[in-house]
Amino acid sequence: MSASFATAWYFAALLFFIGLYCMAASRNLLRQLIGLEVMSKGSLLALIASGAMSNLSLAQAVIITMIVIEVVVVAAGLVLLVKAYRMNGGVDVWKLSSLKG
Amino acid sequence: MIEYREFLYIAVTLCALAAVMSKNMLTSAISLAAMSVGVALVLFDFNAPWAAVFELSVCAGLITVLFISAVSLLRREEAFFAEDRTRFRLLPIFTLIVAIGGWIAGWPFFEALADYARFGARGQSLGSMLWETRRMDLLGQISILAAGVLVINSVFAARKAGK
Amino acid sequence: MTISLLHYMLIPLFSALLIPFVARRRGRLAEIFASVTLLAGLISIGGTLLNPAVLASGFSALGEDGFSLLMIFTVYLVGLCVAFFSASYGEGRGVNTTYFYPLLLVSVSAMCGAVTSTDFFTLFIFVEVLAVASFALMTSDDSKEGLEGAVKYYLLTFPASAAIMLGLAVMLLSAGTFSFDSIRIIIYSGASAPALVFSLSLMLLGFLVKSGVVPFHVWTPDSYQGSYAPVSAFLAGIVTKISGVYAVVRIAMFLRLFETGAFRLSEVLMFLGMVSIAVGAIAAMKQDDFKRMLAFSSISQVGYIVLAAGLATPLAFIGAIFHLFNHATFKTVLFLNSASLEKAAGTRDMNKLGGMEHPMPWTSWTSVIAMLSTAGVPPLSGFWSKIIIIIALWDAGAVTYAVLALLFSALTLGYFVVMQRRIFFGKKSAAAETAAEVSPALLAPAVLMSAVIVAAGLLFPYFFSYLAETIASRMVL
Repeated sequence: MSASFATAWYFAALLFFIGLYCMAASRNLLRQLIGLEVMSKGSLLALIASGAMSNLSLAQAVIITMIVIEVVVVAAGLVLLVKAYRMNGGVDVWKLSSLKG
Repeated sequence: MIEYREFLYIAVTLCALAAVMSKNMLTSAISLAAMSVGVALVLFDFNAPWAAVFELSVCAGLITVLFISAVSLLRREEAFFAEDRTRFRLLPIFTLIVAIGGWIAGWPFFEALADYARFGARGQSLGSMLWETRRMDLLGQISILAAGVLVINSVFAARKAGK
Repeated sequence: MTISLLHYMLIPLFSALLIPFVARRRGRLAEIFASVTLLAGLISIGGTLLNPAVLASGFSALGEDGFSLLMIFTVYLVGLCVAFFSASYGEGRGVNTTYFYPLLLVSVSAMCGAVTSTDFFTLFIFVEVLAVASFALMTSDDSKEGLEGAVKYYLLTFPASAAIMLGLAVMLLSAGTFSFDSIRIIIYSGASAPALVFSLSLMLLGFLVKSGVVPFHVWTPDSYQGSYAPVSAFLAGIVTKISGVYAVVRIAMFLRLFETGAFRLSEVLMFLGMVSIAVGAIAAMKQDDFKRMLAFSSISQVGYIVLAAGLATPLAFIGAIFHLFNHATFKTVLFLNSASLEKAAGTRDMNKLGGMEHPMPWTSWTSVIAMLSTAGVPPLSGFWSKIIIIIALWDAGAVTYAVLALLFSALTLGYFVVMQRRIFFGKKSAAAETAAEVSPALLAPAVLMSAVIVAAGLLFPYFFSYLAETIASRMVL
């Protein structure tokens, strides 16, 4: 049981790293959104592994809510992307650097 | 001997790598969908069928549709794809380093963490869990959906006014 | 969630869903609808807090959590001021009122949901709702700066949410539940303490990013400076305070229950708070843009709250919560006045402003009150919260922190005095020659808030007994 838990968390941490790296390395807002998706998939794996060890139906309820949150967050991010595209004609986040100090 | 679940984990990780590294955004979106399918299979395997169904329909379905429509919207732009690729080519190496490091340091940590597992109230069905214990979460879901609808509408309304 | 407080969350939500239908043809209706909803909520919560029976009993008649009640009051107060202000400010700026006010109401509702939740996962959901609504609000005037602020906010706040999700996973593993009460009992029993500390520290990491404490403050100045002017008052005054700082204070209340093992985490929290105070104050001195300077000063004030939360004695919590309330009042005044100044003088650059006191006496004097309160000048409210925090630090033996907090408080006073000379007093600038006082509708929120600042300072004994009775005495030692 605990070995299976450790495997799940190991891969969850790996996914978390890949997503974080993607968000940090990319300049493209769409790719950063993909990185965010990968990160949240990692957290989902971690949650279900924890739930299997303790309280599975609670974990399932939590995951369902989290999926709903995730889709709204991604949709809102895409709305932001569309807005950025319309206003600047690009989705390069480093071009957005008028504010400094 | 790799078991079914480990095979799924490896597939999910490979899909994640593909989603992050592929040059074409459409491939990325499809790899992301494949990854979601993999996660849904893991959820089935963990005996969480309802969560798996949600994952399959919402993440593998809806989010992929959203991504693909965004990609097709932005496709015309040439500069969009011009990105420094070397950082992404380095990703498998970094991932390998993290994987080996995680094997040495992370694994024992997670195994130690598993010892703190506390068996909560089992036997409550998902329905009673959602509708009785987690009633407030449903309210939260309603408000996040309301927020999402308003955010999306505000942008489309602005476009109408602009035209 | 506390059921008796549910309507504070539900009514704005319904109202928000109604507005797009009611106000489709006439944008004015949206403003009226939103202001009336918020005013009704404010009167209701004010009545709960200040009714004679409660006052006579010395606040012990209040059954609910005092922290939640005070935060609901603050949320409605700031929400009402911002809604009222943007009703006259927004004319001719291309803001779509049919969606601006509903988003404002959704965030008010989400904040009430967050502060009344009695469960870590519910808190997390409402914080996410708040994040989604607030970054849409930031871009509501379709400016490039607003978009930049929103993108930076998005890119930092949602990875932070992923960290919180991992923390929740560890909590699920080690406790099997998310409810505050059960977690409290589990901490008492001493079971699986290391795993719980680990889980709380992951969550703290996420919430510290969301509150913009120093190593994670990259997004704060840009978002505050770039967003649509009334929205920056809303963000700086209450949104980031609820989505980040409130949760940090809540978690700190749990950290103090551990017998051992959480001391290091508390120390890290105190250290980060101190660094925020220092970095925010020093960076604020170097700014030329009024709004950006206020943003850095906000980071510095959040530092005081985090420092007190890290100390985690009952007195420190009273100071932290009172400072949270005070910060909401004075930062709202300052950000709203910066919008008025920009509207009247056409610039926020402090080098081009000067002598604004002559054409704009009301704006100037309300700003001066708010600044003096921020800097901690007696008898304004900011003085009391800072002095409580410093006394609590001294009492607990953290003498170095107490002295440093006092020094940086003096520094805050210094740069605010300098800034007052640059903007409001001193030689009349070209901008001051042409500027005129803004309309009474724009002044009313600032005047109301200044009255609250003065009243909270003068009626401090009541505040103290409220906080002591409903929060400190109910915290189990």
